Amino acid sequence: MLSADICGFGWVSVDGLGAGLSATNSCPFGEFRRGELPPVQRKDVLSRPDRSFGRMDQFSRLGLAGIALALRDAGLETWQDKRNIGVLAATVTGCMYTDVDYFKTVLEGQGLFASPQLFAYTLPNTFLGEAALRFGLTGNCQVLNSGINGDESHALAVVRTAMESIAWGENEKVIVGYCDLGDQGALHAPGALFMVLQPSTVAQADSVAALKLAVDEQGRLRSNDRTICSLQDLIKHLACTSSSA
Amino acid sequence: MEHSVHITDCALVTGLGVGVDHVWSQLLAGKTAIRDVERFSTKNYITNLAATVPDLRAAAAGQSRLYPLLEMLLAQLAEVPAQARLITATTKGAIDLLEMQCRQPDSAGKVPEQVQLGTVPSWVAHKLRLQDCGINVNAACTSSTLAIARGAALIAHGGAEVVVVVCADLVSEFVFSGFSALQALAVEASRPFDCQRSGLTLGEGAAALVLMSAEAAQRYGCKKLAQVRGWGAANDANHITAPARDGCGLIQTIKQAVAQAQIELDDVAAISAHGTGTIYNDMMEITAFRAVFGERQLPLSSIKGALGHTLGAAGGIEAVLALKSLDTGIVPPTCGLLSPEQLIAKQVSSDKQTFCGDMLLSTNSGFGGVNAALVLQRGEQC
Repeated sequence: MLSADICGFGWVSVDGLGAGLSATNSCPFGEFRRGELPPVQRKDVLSRPDRSFGRMDQFSRLGLAGIALALRDAGLETWQDKRNIGVLAATVTGCMYTDVDYFKTVLEGQGLFASPQLFAYTLPNTFLGEAALRFGLTGNCQVLNSGINGDESHALAVVRTAMESIAWGENEKVIVGYCDLGDQGALHAPGALFMVLQPSTVAQADSVAALKLAVDEQGRLRSNDRTICSLQDLIKHLACTSSSA
Repeated sequence: MEHSVHITDCALVTGLGVGVDHVWSQLLAGKTAIRDVERFSTKNYITNLAATVPDLRAAAAGQSRLYPLLEMLLAQLAEVPAQARLITATTKGAIDLLEMQCRQPDSAGKVPEQVQLGTVPSWVAHKLRLQDCGINVNAACTSSTLAIARGAALIAHGGAEVVVVVCADLVSEFVFSGFSALQALAVEASRPFDCQRSGLTLGEGAAALVLMSAEAAQRYGCKKLAQVRGWGAANDANHITAPARDGCGLIQTIKQAVAQAQIELDDVAAISAHGTGTIYNDMMEITAFRAVFGERQLPLSSIKGALGHTLGAAGGIEAVLALKSLDTGIVPPTCGLLSPEQLIAKQVSSDKQTFCGDMLLSTNSGFGGVNAALVLQRGEQC
C-alpha cells in the first residue's frame, strides 16, 4: 500500500500566509476563497535579504512562498548540504499573466524591447528552480497541468504522484502542492498550498506528523482512516487533524 | 522493478518532415531543417533562422498551429488501447493563441482558456479516445524526457500497463523573441559541440511514444522496439537559466539512470546529448560526461544542428531517433560541426558514426536547473 506522512505545509491565500498552524501566521489556516492576494514580501518568505526576489514575477513569488513556508513548517528551511528533495507543483493558469506581460514588451517595440528578465519567468517551472537553488533541492522538480474533465478527485493526482515518487525511491522527500494566481485552479481561488511529504517510516517530532496519507487497495486516498475525495477534503482534514494533534 | 518497460510504437514530426523513417534518412544524409522564418517578422531579432515544420498552418484563422502538428503526429500511430494512461509534454502549448489575443487592441490582459496547458492532454485524450484525461509535464527542455520517465515508472511499478507519451512545441514569436533577448540564439545555424558555437537555433516538432509492459505488448501483439531500462532526474540547485558549470545535476541524473537500469557504465555504447549549441550548456555536458565516463570515447551526437531546439518536445524526438540508432547501430551526424571541442573531438562527428552495443543514454537539461536522462536498450528490429 502506498503511504507517506505530511511533515509540514505552507500556504498563501487572500487572507494571508502561514506555515502549518503556527500562532505567528497572519491568519488561521482553513479556507481558500476568491479575492485579491496580498503582496508576498521577501521578509515573509526568506530569512535573508535576496536581491532576486524583487525581480520575480507574481506567480513565482507566490509559489516560492508556499514552498518556503512548507519547508519552514517541516523544519527543513535551513540546510548545509544539497538534499534529494523533489517538488511537484500543479497549476492550471501557471505563468500566463506573466506571458501576457512579457509579450506586451515584444509588441511595444516590435521585438526591440522584449524583456529578457520577464521572459525568464514565462516557464511555469522557473519558480521551482528559484526554490531549488535557495533551499538546496536536487530532486525531480516539475510542474504538472491536469487534463480537464471536471472531476474534483483529479486534483489529488499530483499528491498520489508525489507518494509514488517517495515509495519508488526517486526522492527522499517531495514538496507537493498547488499554485494559481486565478480562481480556475484546483484551489478554486488564488493562492498556493504546498505540503512536505516524507516516507511514513521517518520519525517526526512535530505536530503535523500526525497526518498520514495512504492509498488503499481500491485506489482511494485516505488520511487517518478518512477517505479524501477532493482537494477541499484534504484542506479541511489538514486543518482539523493538525489542530487536534 | 516489477515489470519491464517497452516502447512499442512511435511517431515523429520535425522540420525535416513527417515520419520516423523519413526524418532518420534525412538526418543520416546530413540534411538540415534550419531555414528562414516566414511566419513572423524577425527584423528586430538577432537571427532569422529556425527549424520550422514545412507548411504547418492553423486549420483556420484564429486557431493554433499546435493541433495540425498533433494531427500529423497522431495519424502515424496504430490504435492505442483505450485504457492507456496519457502524459503530454509541452512548455508553451498553443502559445500562438496568446499572441493573437495580445495583438487585439481590446485584449486588456485577457488570456484565452485554450492557452492553458491542461487543454493539450484533454485534446489528445479525446483524439485517441482514451479514458484517461491525462496530465502535462512542464519542466522546460526536460519535459518530454521526464514524461517518458514517469510513464516508464508507472509501468515498472504496476501502476499502468500502457502509457502514451505525446510531446510538442511550436516555433512562435513569443519564444523566438525571448531567446533573442537573452542573446541565446546563434546568428547562423547552431553548431552543437563546436569550438565556435555561439548559441541555439529554435525548432518545432512533435513526438509520440507508446510504452507497454512485456505482458501488454504480448497481449496486443506489439513489437518491442526498445526497452526503457533506466531513468533519472535531478536539479542543479544552482541557477534558474544557466547550467551548473560542474555538471553536478546531470552527473547525478546519469548515475541514477544507469543504477536503475542495473547495468555498468561500460554497457552504455552511445550518447544522444542535449547539445543545444550554447557555450555553457555544451561545456557543462562535456564536463558531466567526462566525470561519469572518464576517458571513454563514446560516440556522442546532438541533432539540434539539424532539427533545432524543440524545447519541451526535444527529449521525445531524441528518444524516438534513439530507437533508430539502436536499431541500426548508428548515431546521426552532429550537423554544423566543423571544429569540435577538443575534449570530445573523437566522440562527435559531422558524419554518422557506428557503435557496438545495446544501450544508449539520452539526456536533456534546461531552465530551472533541471536535468533528465533515459537509458534505452535495443529491442526487436524495427
